[in-house]
Amino acid sequence: MKIGDDDLRARTFKWLFGKNSEFWPKNMKTGMWAWIGHRLTGVALVVYVFMHLSFITTASLNHESFDDLMGVTRSPLFVLMDFLLVVVVIYHGMNGLRVILFDAGVGIKKQKLIFWICMAIAAVMVVVGFYALRNNIFMGGG
Amino acid sequence: MAEPKVATTKVAGTWPWFLQRVSAVLLIVLLATHIIIDHFWQMGAPTSELSVLNIHLRLKELVWIGVDYSMLAVVLFHGLNGTRTVMFDFDCFMKRKKMVDVGLWVLGVAMLVWGIVILLPFING
Repeated sequence: MKIGDDDLRARTFKWLFGKNSEFWPKNMKTGMWAWIGHRLTGVALVVYVFMHLSFITTASLNHESFDDLMGVTRSPLFVLMDFLLVVVVIYHGMNGLRVILFDAGVGIKKQKLIFWICMAIAAVMVVVGFYALRNNIFMGGG
Repeated sequence: MAEPKVATTKVAGTWPWFLQRVSAVLLIVLLATHIIIDHFWQMGAPTSELSVLNIHLRLKELVWIGVDYSMLAVVLFHGLNGTRTVMFDFDCFMKRKKMVDVGLWVLGVAMLVWGIVILLPFING
C-alpha cells in the first residue's frame, strides 16, 4: 500500500508531538533518550567539522594569521569549548559502540545495564580529558 | 502510542547502515591517533603547540598525511551519511531521496577536495 502525503505528514506529526508522542518526556525511556542524544551530538559534530575546515582554510590562506588564531584558541574559554567537544565526542562514540553491539545482537536483553556501563566508561574518559586540559582551562596557555 | 515507525535501515538502505558502522569503528581509531599525534606528541618539534611550523614538521612523514586525508574522507562520509539518516528519521525529504543522496555526495566530494587543497601549503611549508 502506498502512503499518501497527508497520511505521512499526520503520522509524523503524531509521532513527534503531543502526549502520545514517543518524544513526550513521560513516554521516553533510556534507549529513547540515548537515541535523541546521539542525534543531537551527531549534528553538533557535523557543524564542528565544518568549523574545523574553515579554521584550516584561514590558516592555509595566511600562515601568520594562523599562529595568531592558535593564540586565541589557547584562551581558557576556548579550551573550555574544547572540553565540551571532548564530552560530545566521547558520548557519541560510547553510545555508538553500544548501538553496534546491539546491531550485532550482543547484549540486547541487558540493554539498560549496557547503556550505563558505556556511560560509566564515558565518564571516566571525560575525567581523563578534563585532567589533560585542566591547566589550559584554569590558567590559559600551556 | 503513536503508530510504529518503519525501521530506519529499511528507509535509508542496508549499505549506508553497514558503512556507517564500519566508518564509526575506523573513526575511533583515527580520532585517537589524531588527538595523540597532534596534541600530545612532540614529533621532533620544539613544542607540542599547534603552529604552522610544527604541523609542517609532522607532515614531513607520509604516514601522517595519509592519516589526515583518510580521516577527512571517513569523517565526511560518517557525518553526511549520519545527517541523511537523521533527516529520514524525522521524515524529512523522504520523497526526494535521490535528490538528497546526490546533494550529499556532491557536498561530500567538494569538501574532500577542499580539505585536500587547504592542507597542501602545510605539507609544502
